[in-house]
Amino acid sequence: MPKRRYYQNRSKQGKLKYFVLGALLVAGAYFGYKTYFCFNPDRLVANSVLKEKTFDTKVEEIISPKYKIKAYLFEDDTNPIIAVNFLFKNAGYAGNEEKKDGLAQMAATLLDDGTEKLNRVAYREELEKYAINISFSAGRDDMNGTLLTTKAQSRRAFGLLKDVLLTPRFDEEDITQVRQEMLMGLKIQQEQPQSVLSLAANKELFGQHPYAKNPLGEAKDIAQISRADLVEYVKDHLTRSNLIVGVAGDISAAEAGKMLDDVFGALPENGKMAFIRKADVDFAGDDVTIAKDLPQSIAFFVVPGVTRQSEDFYPLYVANDILGGSGLTSRLSLAAREKEALTYGVYTYLSVAEKAPLVGGGFSATPENFAKVKEIVKQEWQKIASKGVSKQEFEAEINYLLASYNLRFASIRNIAEILSAMQKENLGIDFLQKRNDYIRNIKLQDVNMAAKKYFAKNPRFIAIGNNEK
Amino acid sequence: MCFLKFSFAKICLTLGLCLSCFVANAQAKLFGITEFELDNGLQVLVIPNHKAPIVKHMVWYKSGSVDEPKGKSGTAHLLEHLMFRGTKKVKDGVFNDVINQNGGESNAFTSLDYTAYHQFVDISRLELAMYLEADRMQNLKITPQSFEKEQNIVFQERKQVVDNNPLSYFGESVRKVLWQEHPYGLPVSGYPDEIKSITQEDVETFYEQFYAPNNAILVLAGDIDVETAQKLANKYYGKIKAREIGKKADFPVLTRKFDANLQMKLPAAQSKRLMQVFLAPSVNVAADKIYALAVLAKYLGEGETSALYKDLVLKQKLALDVSVSFDYANRSYGTFVISAVPVEGITQAEFEKALKVSIQQALKQISPRKIDLVKQKMLAGLVYLKDNPSEAAYVVGMMASVGFNAKDIDGLDEKIEAVSAQEVLSAAKEILQATSVTGWLLPQEEGE
Repeated sequence: MPKRRYYQNRSKQGKLKYFVLGALLVAGAYFGYKTYFCFNPDRLVANSVLKEKTFDTKVEEIISPKYKIKAYLFEDDTNPIIAVNFLFKNAGYAGNEEKKDGLAQMAATLLDDGTEKLNRVAYREELEKYAINISFSAGRDDMNGTLLTTKAQSRRAFGLLKDVLLTPRFDEEDITQVRQEMLMGLKIQQEQPQSVLSLAANKELFGQHPYAKNPLGEAKDIAQISRADLVEYVKDHLTRSNLIVGVAGDISAAEAGKMLDDVFGALPENGKMAFIRKADVDFAGDDVTIAKDLPQSIAFFVVPGVTRQSEDFYPLYVANDILGGSGLTSRLSLAAREKEALTYGVYTYLSVAEKAPLVGGGFSATPENFAKVKEIVKQEWQKIASKGVSKQEFEAEINYLLASYNLRFASIRNIAEILSAMQKENLGIDFLQKRNDYIRNIKLQDVNMAAKKYFAKNPRFIAIGNNEK
Repeated sequence: MCFLKFSFAKICLTLGLCLSCFVANAQAKLFGITEFELDNGLQVLVIPNHKAPIVKHMVWYKSGSVDEPKGKSGTAHLLEHLMFRGTKKVKDGVFNDVINQNGGESNAFTSLDYTAYHQFVDISRLELAMYLEADRMQNLKITPQSFEKEQNIVFQERKQVVDNNPLSYFGESVRKVLWQEHPYGLPVSGYPDEIKSITQEDVETFYEQFYAPNNAILVLAGDIDVETAQKLANKYYGKIKAREIGKKADFPVLTRKFDANLQMKLPAAQSKRLMQVFLAPSVNVAADKIYALAVLAKYLGEGETSALYKDLVLKQKLALDVSVSFDYANRSYGTFVISAVPVEGITQAEFEKALKVSIQQALKQISPRKIDLVKQKMLAGLVYLKDNPSEAAYVVGMMASVGFNAKDIDGLDEKIEAVSAQEVLSAAKEILQATSVTGWLLPQEEGE
C-alpha cells in the first residue's frame, strides 16, 4: 500500500506537474495568440518604427519697427509660401447699423474687387497671374481676411493687400452686381432647409439682439446700401486698434515686421465700432417646429455654454466631445446612428462666442424617425448630466486630444489662422507648447461637474419638417 | 462616409485653388511622387512632406458604383459604410474607437469610379492605421444586424444629401438624361427603392470581387521617407494575396449624338439655374485631348477673368455667375460643364442664345498670346499643392485610381504648358458639337 501510495502520490504529483505545465503552455499560447495574432492597438503603437516626434512649434511675437503693429509669427520654410491671416475685431455683421443689414458683408465682397489703381478685372488678372489669393469674409463679430502667396511674389502680394485695404475701388457697377448677387444669395438660402432652420433658430434664441441677424443681410437694406456707406464702413472699422494678425510660412521676423508696416501701417489708428451687448439668449423658450414638407426633417438644439476664458472650458469641451462632438464615437452617434440606425448624423458643438456662449447640436432624420432621435438626444443629455462620463471614456477622450494635436499643422494657411485665434482669445504666445499640458491637467471630476452643470436641463429644440408623421 | 462625384474643379476648389493652379516650374515635380508596386499588385504612391510629424494614409479601390449589378444602385456605397462595422479580428465599433483614441481623422467616400478609405494621423499612429486598413481589405465580417443598420443609415444619408437639396436632385436628373444607359447615369447614393432591395449577399459579392490588393492603390503623404514606406507597405499589405478581380462595368461606346433639354420645376427651387453638360473625352477616352480642353475651360469660364464671365456677367450683365468646369479624371467619358445663374427677367431661350454668341466671340478672340496668359494662370501656384499632405494625397490618389500614372500626375504642368492656341480652338469646336444636355432648374410659379 505504501508503495502503491507512493506510486499514487508520484502519479498525482506527475499529474499536477503536467497540469501546471499544460496550464502554463495554454496560458503562454493564449498570451502569444493575444499578443501576436489578435489586434492590439497599444502594442502596435508602442512597437511602431515611426515614433512620436516633437517638432518646433515656436511662435514669435513681432512688433513692426515703425507703427508698432503686433503679430504672431510661425516660421516654416518647408515650402516657399506665406500665409497672412488677419481680423478686424468687432467689424462683423452683428455691428451693422439699423437699415444697413448687409453692409459688412457687402464690404467684404467688394474689398476684394479692385483698388484705385486696378479695376476689378485688372486686379483679378494680377491675382491669378501670380497665384495670389486674397479674400475677406464678414463674420458675426469680426471681419476676417487672408492672404496666401508664394515667397517669390510676396512683395507684389503685400502691395495688393495694402491697396485693397487703403484704397478699395467700390465702383458703382461692381456695387450693383454684388447687390444682385446678395439678393440672389438670400433666395438660394431659402432652398436649403438647413439655412432656413438656422435663420429661424437665431431669431428664436437672440430675439432683438444683433446675433439674430441674417448672415447675408436684409433685402430691403441691401437695396439701399451706397458707396458712401461702404467707404465709411471701411474708415470706421478697418483700423490698427482692432487689428489682429497671424503670419505663417517662409518669412523671417524682419520681413514680417516690414510687411506689417507696409500693409497695415497706413490704416487709421482708431475707428468707430458698434458695441455689441451680451446676448440674453432664450434657452428656456418652447420648442418650435417650422412646418414644411421635406424628405428629411432637421433639428437644432441648444443649452447655455461657456466662453473660451471660462475655467469650465476644458472640462466642458471634453464632456461635449464625449456626448456629441467626436463624430461616430460620441454617445449620441453610438445611440442614434450606430445602434438604432435612425439618422445619418447627430452632433453637438461648443460655441465659445464671448457674447453668447452655447452648446448647440443637430440631427436630421426622416419624419418617422424624428421623434425617436429627439428622445435619444434627451435621454443621453440626462444620462451624462446625472451619471457623468466613465473613466474609460474620459481617458479615451484625453488620448484623442493629445494624439490629434499635430494634425492642425497640416497647412500654412491653417497655422496662420490659429495664430490669429490665439491672440483673439488671449491664449498666450506659448499656447502651442502648453496646449497638451492643459489637456493633461483636465480632471475627470471636473468633466463630470461640467456635465452636471451644463447638461442638467433638456435642450431647447428648434426644427423644420413635417415631424408629426 | 459619403458619396461623391468629383469634377476636377471641385477638387481644386477644395484646395482653395483652381485647376489653373497647376503650376509652372518645369523642373519641379508637382508632388514629388515615388511609385512602386508590391508583389501582390498593390500600387503604392508616396508623397513625402516633412512640415509636421503627420501622415495621410489612403487606400483607393479602383471600383465604384458603376461596378454594381443592375437594379442594385447604392451597393458600393453601402459596402463602404459596412467596412467600419468590424472584421474577423476587429469587432464592430472598435475601428472608429481605436482611430479616435489615437487622435486620427478617419473617413471614406464612394464615387462612380472608385471607393476610398482614409486616415489622417500622427506619424506614430501610421502603423496602426495600416494594420486596420489591411485587415479590412481581407477580413471584413458583415452580420445581418450591421447590414440592416447601415442600409437604414445610407437611406437616411440619401434623403439628407440629395432629396433635401433641389440643386443636388437636379444635378442627378441632368446626369441621367446625358448618360442614358451608360452606368454613369446611376446615382452613387442609389435610388431609394433600390437601396432597400440590396441584400447582404450583394454587398459581400462586391467586396469579394473588388476589394483586393491588385485592385487598389495605397497613398502615403506626409512625414515619411520612401524606404520606410516600402517596408511598412510590405509588412501590412504585402501578405494579402492577390485575387481574381470580378468583372467591372462595361462602358458602352457612345455613338448616338443628341442634344437634350431638361426643364425641372421644383417647389423648393427659388431661382433659375442653367447647367449645360457636354459629353467629353477623359484620360481613358482620349488622353491627348484633355489638356487642351482643360485650358479651354480655364479660358472660357474659370474665375472672374475668364471670357464668359467678363462678357456675360461684367459686360452684358445677363448673369450673376457663369463658370465652366472640365472633369477628365474618369474611367469612362468625361464631362465639360457650363453653369450659370442668369439675372432675373431673362428667358431661358434669350440666355441660351446670348451664351452661344458669347462662346463664339470668345473662340474668335483666341490667340497664342491669350492662351499663353491662360496657361500662366494655370501654372502659377504649384507649390500650394505640396503644402497640405492630406489634400495632396487626395488629388494624387483620385487621379491614379482612374488611370493616370505617377509621371503624368507629377508632370501635369508640362502637359498644360505644351498646349497650343490651335489645339484649344480645335478642342472647342469638337466639344461644342458633342452630345449635350441643357438643363434648367426653375422655381415653381405660384399656383402651379
